Amino acid sequence: MTTAQGKTKTKFLEYLRTVGMTTMEGRGFYYPTDTAIGPNGRMYVTNKSLESVVRGVRVTVCDLDSDYYGTFGFYGENEGQLIWPSACTTDNQGRVYVSDEYTHKVSVFDDEGNFITRWGQHGSAEGELDTPSGLALDSAGNLYVADTYNHRVQKFTLEGRLLLSFGRQGDGPGEFDMPWGLAIDANDQVYVADWRNDRIQKFSQDGIHLASFGAPGRGAGKFSRPSGVAVDGEGYIYVADWGNERVQVLDQDGQSVQILRGEATLSEWAANFLKINEEEGAARSRANLEPEIEYFVDEPHEESSHIEKLFWSPVSVKLDPAGNLYVIESNRHRIQVYRPGA
Amino acid sequence: MGNRNIEQIAHLMRRAGFGATRDQLEEFAVRGYEATVEELLDQSHEQRMGDDVIRRFHPELSGMMGPQASGENWLYRMATTSTPLREKVSLFWHGIFATGYPKVIHGKALSDQVRMFRRYGMASFRDLLLELAKDPAMIIWLDNQDNHKDAINENFGRELLELFSMGVGNYTEQDIKECARAFTGWTLGNREYMELRSMRDSDWPYGRISWHFEFNEEDHDDGEKEFLGQRGHLNGEDVVGIICQQEATARFIARHMYSFFVADEPPVPEWPYVEPADPAAIELLAKTYFESNYDISAMLRVLFNSEFFKAQGSWYRKVKSPVELVAGVLRLTSEFDRPRKEILDRYQQAVFMGQYLNNPPSVEGWHQGTDWIDTGSLVERINFSSQQLGDVNRPGVQTMIYRIEAAGVSLDSSESLVDACLDQIGAISVSEDTRQELVNFASSVGSSGVRSGRLDQAGRQRIAEVIQMVASTQEFQRA
Repeated sequence: MTTAQGKTKTKFLEYLRTVGMTTMEGRGFYYPTDTAIGPNGRMYVTNKSLESVVRGVRVTVCDLDSDYYGTFGFYGENEGQLIWPSACTTDNQGRVYVSDEYTHKVSVFDDEGNFITRWGQHGSAEGELDTPSGLALDSAGNLYVADTYNHRVQKFTLEGRLLLSFGRQGDGPGEFDMPWGLAIDANDQVYVADWRNDRIQKFSQDGIHLASFGAPGRGAGKFSRPSGVAVDGEGYIYVADWGNERVQVLDQDGQSVQILRGEATLSEWAANFLKINEEEGAARSRANLEPEIEYFVDEPHEESSHIEKLFWSPVSVKLDPAGNLYVIESNRHRIQVYRPGA
Repeated sequence: MGNRNIEQIAHLMRRAGFGATRDQLEEFAVRGYEATVEELLDQSHEQRMGDDVIRRFHPELSGMMGPQASGENWLYRMATTSTPLREKVSLFWHGIFATGYPKVIHGKALSDQVRMFRRYGMASFRDLLLELAKDPAMIIWLDNQDNHKDAINENFGRELLELFSMGVGNYTEQDIKECARAFTGWTLGNREYMELRSMRDSDWPYGRISWHFEFNEEDHDDGEKEFLGQRGHLNGEDVVGIICQQEATARFIARHMYSFFVADEPPVPEWPYVEPADPAAIELLAKTYFESNYDISAMLRVLFNSEFFKAQGSWYRKVKSPVELVAGVLRLTSEFDRPRKEILDRYQQAVFMGQYLNNPPSVEGWHQGTDWIDTGSLVERINFSSQQLGDVNRPGVQTMIYRIEAAGVSLDSSESLVDACLDQIGAISVSEDTRQELVNFASSVGSSGVRSGRLDQAGRQRIAEVIQMVASTQEFQRA
């Protein structure tokens, strides 16, 4: 298939299915912020919930087939608990790392959700963290952390010993404004969703700036507050273009080759809910869920709030080994999954 | 620069905004009073905490599945915006077009209504009323989805005339019926599904879906009507146009505006029987309403520049509503330089004091004035203000202390210390009795706090304690 830029991409994404639905406890999500896909094939989904209740905050464990395995990491400031879980990743032993923007710590759990340890000190000195968000592991097993309000990225051993720190506040090459999502490619190069600079930046494993992609805007190749990034084995870059309520795929040179706006269908859990709650299911079947509306505020966020199938706050993107792309939508409490096309 | 000038602008900022810091007051004073009024009316250069940052750290403040999110979101705006008059005017309309969560059960719809107030609240009253009639939260609040061609529901039509535009005694029961007929078919899109989900408080399966207005032509009564003496195949838009032409409407809006921004008037049900406190002021505002083609900003400009507003006798005559008090304190403390979990607590403090945003006690909104104060709410108000402003870790409090130190205020003089604190907290002027009590307090919390010419920890704490006491005075609790 040839793109608008005349380039050839081998794998275009096609919608596969939706996983999840809104629930404050147990099976389901409540303002999910990220997912990590472990070596066991299970998805660990961090849920931020809302301020007024202690329920909702948790890590939900499930898989692509909507099988549900339980939850862990409930609300609190003690070990094994979370307040503002922001991102997660897994290592080759299946351990789950979760960043917490409120406690400024990274918590580590085993693949069954048992608490192992946590580390992180609030502050701005090297090795300290102020609102840690995106996490990514390199091939050597080191953990990169987006240190949001320190406007930098820091690399730690899995035990929390600082190895490297790079970046500072600004909009020049190698500078950041509230970085969020992280990804690492097959060559251990680091991709940073430089959130408030509306761009993706690429670095060597030593923190040397290699490239910047994108600029503020709504057109192809432009971003509005990109929050998540993933890279596949061919070097294609997948961006959660959060403020534009879409996902963009860039080629290795940063050219936009595909834009997704969202096409969610009922997940297995959602379909089950509507089957049990017949009256809601029947009313829903008679509703026009794609109404034509004149918005008085012309912005994608508003459109997404009205049209349920569209991405609404697509906060993170993750790839599984088969090349499926998982798009986590905070405000819709679900994950839309796209598979590589023919 | 005379202190009288600063105090005059401080009065303006308390009424047209949520108060101002001493730094801001000085900036405004340099530009002058009338220029400051124009700046308040100009909404084109707003700076505030961005929606993106709020959404990033509080996804619920855009997803809005619960009853408090719309108010929390609004409080962030009030506490951080550089165009506070827009929020103040939105609060004004929210009090008149009072719409509440318990019946709507859709936080996003209520937040969207406030956003509509921001957009239309300072422009043409005609446009505002028209948008109000199309507002999904208002449609559900006053049952216009049940107002059908062959079976009218008068709720919206009645309140539009009684509470939103003219006031009782200026129309007939037949006018209400004709008004309701004109709004038949003005309903909520996907009404059945949305109403059912609202009734069940359902977030399932994928969170809330925003509501939208729908005109159902088949359900609209296009027959001839006679409304306020005018005949024709009138629709909702025509009815709003006719309402806006009425003297009663001009006076009703003018009196509301006077009551909110200048001095309390009695509750609306008493208006037919009690003359306005200042009839000339109401006449002036009503005249401006017509001369400006119903322009709210034009009325506000006249109001803020009038002698009846500026006169010293008007100062401190209003009791701050709980939300005004909380937003004002947060602006002084500068606590929210970034999104913080504590926004929920600060928002709930206003609820404890008696004002639950997007959840007024009835369709009549909140009663203003001394009705805000009872024994319980007074304790809440004083505790909140004094705790926040007595916290030396708050950036805004640190700035006040720094400025007092930099000005070389002698801590050996309790009088000087009290005057400096009154000045720093927003150029507050207090009665002689209040001042003497503050001086007595300042004397009781230590005599110095200066070491080698610089403030020590005890000195900073002492200033904070005096600031804390100023925050508990009746003058600070008033606007």
